[in-house]
Amino acid sequence: MITALIIGVVQGGMYGLLALGLVLVYKGSRVLNFAQAEIGTVSLFLAYWLVTEHHLPWIVGAVCALLLGAAIAMVFERVIVRPMGSAPRLSVAVATIGLLTLLLSLELLQFGPSPRVLPPPIDGLGLHIASVYVSPTQLISLGAVAVIGAGLALFLRRTDFGLGVLAAAEDPTAVRLVGVRLSHVSAFTWGVSGALSALAALFIAPSLGVFTPGVIGAPLFVASLAGALLGGMSSLPGAFVGGIAIGVLEALTKFLVISRNLSATIPGGESIAIFAVILIVLLVRPQGILGRRAAA
Amino acid sequence: MSADTVLLELRDVRAGFGSQTVLHGVSLQVREGEIAGIFGLNGAGKSVTMKVVAGIVPARRGDVVMDGRNITTVAPEDRVALGMAHVPQGRQVFPGLTVEQNLRLGGYRLRRRDKRRYGEALQRTLDRFPILAERRAQLAGSMSGGQQASLAVARALVSDPRIVLVDEPSAGLAPKTVEELFETLREVNRSGVTMLMVEQNVTFGLRLVDTANIMQRGRIVYAGPVADLDQERVAEHLGVGRLLGRGLSAAVQSHEAAAR
Amino acid sequence: MTALATSGSGSDANTPQPQSPRAALQALWNSVMTPRRANIALWAVLLAALPPITERAMPHLFTSGKLQTLDVAACFAVAALALNVLVGYAGQMSLGHAAFMGVGAFTSGLIVGRYGLSMAVGVPAAALFGGIVALLLGIPALRLRGLYLAITTIAFGVALQLSILRIPWISGGNAGVVLPRRVAGNLQLIDNADWLAVLLVVLLVVWLLDTNVMRSKVGRAFRAIREDEGVAQSFAVNVVTYKLTAFVISGALAGVAGALYGHTIGQANSDPFSYELSLQLIIMVVVGGLGSRSGVVAAAFFFQVFPAVMPAWFNGYQVPIGAALLMYTVARHPDGLAGALREARERREMRRMRGGAGDDDDEDIEERGRLPKLPALPRPSTLPPRPEVAGGTVLSARNVSVRFGGLQAVDDVSLDVPRGRIVGLIGPNGAGKTTLFNALSGHIRPQRGEITFMGQDVSDLAPHRRAALGMSRSFQLIGLAKSMTVLDNMLLAQHVLGRYDIGSALAYLPRTARVERELTERAHQAIAALGFERFTDTPVRSLSHGQQRIVELGCLLVTDPELLMLDEPSAGMSPGAAENLAVRLRELRDEQARTVLLIEHNIPLVLDVCDEIYVLNSGAVLASGPTETIARRPEVIGAYFGEAVPA
Repeated sequence: MITALIIGVVQGGMYGLLALGLVLVYKGSRVLNFAQAEIGTVSLFLAYWLVTEHHLPWIVGAVCALLLGAAIAMVFERVIVRPMGSAPRLSVAVATIGLLTLLLSLELLQFGPSPRVLPPPIDGLGLHIASVYVSPTQLISLGAVAVIGAGLALFLRRTDFGLGVLAAAEDPTAVRLVGVRLSHVSAFTWGVSGALSALAALFIAPSLGVFTPGVIGAPLFVASLAGALLGGMSSLPGAFVGGIAIGVLEALTKFLVISRNLSATIPGGESIAIFAVILIVLLVRPQGILGRRAAA
Repeated sequence: MSADTVLLELRDVRAGFGSQTVLHGVSLQVREGEIAGIFGLNGAGKSVTMKVVAGIVPARRGDVVMDGRNITTVAPEDRVALGMAHVPQGRQVFPGLTVEQNLRLGGYRLRRRDKRRYGEALQRTLDRFPILAERRAQLAGSMSGGQQASLAVARALVSDPRIVLVDEPSAGLAPKTVEELFETLREVNRSGVTMLMVEQNVTFGLRLVDTANIMQRGRIVYAGPVADLDQERVAEHLGVGRLLGRGLSAAVQSHEAAAR
Repeated sequence: MTALATSGSGSDANTPQPQSPRAALQALWNSVMTPRRANIALWAVLLAALPPITERAMPHLFTSGKLQTLDVAACFAVAALALNVLVGYAGQMSLGHAAFMGVGAFTSGLIVGRYGLSMAVGVPAAALFGGIVALLLGIPALRLRGLYLAITTIAFGVALQLSILRIPWISGGNAGVVLPRRVAGNLQLIDNADWLAVLLVVLLVVWLLDTNVMRSKVGRAFRAIREDEGVAQSFAVNVVTYKLTAFVISGALAGVAGALYGHTIGQANSDPFSYELSLQLIIMVVVGGLGSRSGVVAAAFFFQVFPAVMPAWFNGYQVPIGAALLMYTVARHPDGLAGALREARERREMRRMRGGAGDDDDEDIEERGRLPKLPALPRPSTLPPRPEVAGGTVLSARNVSVRFGGLQAVDDVSLDVPRGRIVGLIGPNGAGKTTLFNALSGHIRPQRGEITFMGQDVSDLAPHRRAALGMSRSFQLIGLAKSMTVLDNMLLAQHVLGRYDIGSALAYLPRTARVERELTERAHQAIAALGFERFTDTPVRSLSHGQQRIVELGCLLVTDPELLMLDEPSAGMSPGAAENLAVRLRELRDEQARTVLLIEHNIPLVLDVCDEIYVLNSGAVLASGPTETIARRPEVIGAYFGEAVPA
């Protein structure tokens, strides 16, 4: 059971990273980005390509992945989201579905459906926690999360622009009245969320083992969504914690189903559990456990 | 105090939302150094007028001119850079940020352009509002209404503005707090800051402003010095004259007596 | 036709003459086979005959594979129509519709494949189960809106695909369920062209069902819900029931599509009914145009057929290009391609009607200030005669209080609206007038207080029920479905008079047709009374603000309501138009004996028109009484001038 917990936390970490990105974009543009996970996958493919085909060091691949993720998101924001202005949020969501399809199909065209592996930065230097192997990639990613998280927090609280971003999330109309350009804030939030997707994908790659186009698909996306909702769509730390909580819930459910020999009766029971969580949270406490106001 | 320079001007502005036209040709002027007020019943269009000046609502026809420069198509954020500062309706301080961070946001545009001027403006503001200097690290959301009002005014002043737009300062504040705010605004104006104010509370507003613009149904029906107004004319211009009828003077007198 | 035998000069040409049997049959044929039905029959024959004939006549034109592509396209067209009902018409999101297709496929698979029955049993069963599952999901989920509803449907879809549909008893293990195209016993439709004929006929049936929905009160209710639920309720639409109905219809039709798809492929497991498929369906519906039948069907066919007809080197590129096109389309035309076409058409229409004028037109109408007389139609025969009300008080509120968080928006308000009077509600901004209105009409639940309407305690009634009792209200931003035409709004306003149930609407039984004819005629009368005939088919949003307000008032009057609640009717009008509005309002009271409760900021209008006035300030009644006495009260002065600030 401890094994299940550890697995759950690791998986939940990925959900948390994706959820962070989802909430960032949602707070900034009131849009649900369906392509959130796929941006990460594309970036992962770039890292793979640079490391395997061009024999560049892992760290270069990882950094380029983060940059690509940020770039895709920022370009999308500039070219599609911003011109759509006050168009219905559903339409913008459909546009993100278009982005998802585009990225997926480009991955397939370029790399085909065969599974790939991203070699870890340092071979064989992982950790064993309660019989679960935590690979170097994950350790480095964890470290990156900590560094980036701290850096982001500092940036947001200490710089003028960062304060503008925080203020814009609280009150987008008032923040214009002090001269902050919302378009810059929007570009920033999307860019950061794209980088977070890439980070999430790098983080989960070792657990997946191999990856294919669209590997971070519906079930993972739904789990991240559940995490974001659980933490409250308006709370950044809440999103991350929510993601981890969902990861744990999922792992425990799987464990229970298997240990009670129910997997024949209820295959995939964890997706039912996640659905139930989503439904209950939305009906009972839509602002999530940690959120302050009711979002949406 | 009247320099006769016109600092801000609206010229025959028409504006509205969707299919509705709310302003049917509004013209007004704010002279440098004065406090100008816009009054009117709800629906008269005073909020929309303020929004047109701020740039949040576009003028479908007519012009907005500041310092001789036509800013009709300039975005609100960029008007701030040109010297327009805001004390929004309901103060709208950023509750999750500290006093210091709120003030820093006030200087968002100025700080990059002219750090020295920003520093001086910040110091002047902190001198004027010692209570804010004391509570620099306090979260704005945890402050009282009156303190938030001071913060909102300070935030506007930190940008060393040409003109401060004050939107319904008395809304949601207790009478005593309104009085304190009143004093603050008067003092700020006396030190040379031009203001344009929209105010629902006519009694309060008329004591503060130099020039009054009274609106009815999207048009300005009176624009002139406050000294030329009395309660009866004000009632007339607001459009409640007929409501208050013949007994008006007596009623008004008894109302003022009660206030004393 | 036999010559009429007239004898004598007084013979009336309308006197029925004895007809020959041939003429009698002719008359019978004409009454049953209306032009519309003839059209439908023609289409049915065409669709059923064309594929098999083409195949036999030109066997090398389509390969079996190409036919199967068309088959699949037809199935997706049904699915797209299904989703369109929910998303395009009723405006409720579903990103898990593949799940309903899966339910349908497995249902039919079990019935036809495992238990050997005919598709004639399997496919309707698929519809039934699709509908049931939709009902089960809809009951909790439809309390959520927009984004939250969408997320719930995604999670549902994933749970269904990965869990429920893989339960061994249902799924038959990894091999999946077999779906033979069994007609009866051993007779199966192996040929893909024959099967296409069947699919096209089913598509036609679904199309017809769709048109029936849209021609009836059901479709209007859906569209009103999509536009603005509060407005829909004010027109007596039971929003909860209709949302659920849309969900169930959509789920049932998706079940049919899934079953047909299963029979097309021949077998089904849980794999195809995925999130990706749900997204594809949404793409079809959005790109084709939300709410456009032909658009979504065209999009469905296009998405299936286009990749198949492209040359081999193109293979694989159509998806990214399609995705890029999708993003571009959605960004430029959020209403889809059909919406873009519609908008272009509307703009041409308006330019033609206005003779090229722009905003000036609004000014013109306002300045001229002449508003049409408000329609005075006879009481609809379907309503009971106007009830008497005890004490002559139509609406009575006692101790109503509404609190939002820390703010007391309405504070212990009591008021009475006597029959045949116009009562005014005035007060400064934020005084709580609209909130009070919302409490009276049921759009908000007060924390305390009783509301009595027509002698009945309505405090616990939902807004649509109060509207059905005769409470009509207007909205500050115009309470109409702005994307619908003037005629459709007039019909929507008569929702409570639509005396047929949803089932009759789907089949468009003769009773439904008759009621619709009556409502349409009444709508035309009202529009004619306003002099707005030329705007009958104009979407409301294309009218000027003043014209929209007039249409709204017309809609409020069309059901002969007991009470008219008007929220700032003169807002946005020029002084001239507002004066004319006062005339019209007085006519309502004096000529039509109507009862009106009025919120206004236009004091001269209030003085002109109202018999009694309530002055509200900070949520409480400051003063009330006949108009002349109110005018002189000092509290009123304080309310408008603002509290005196202690010097």
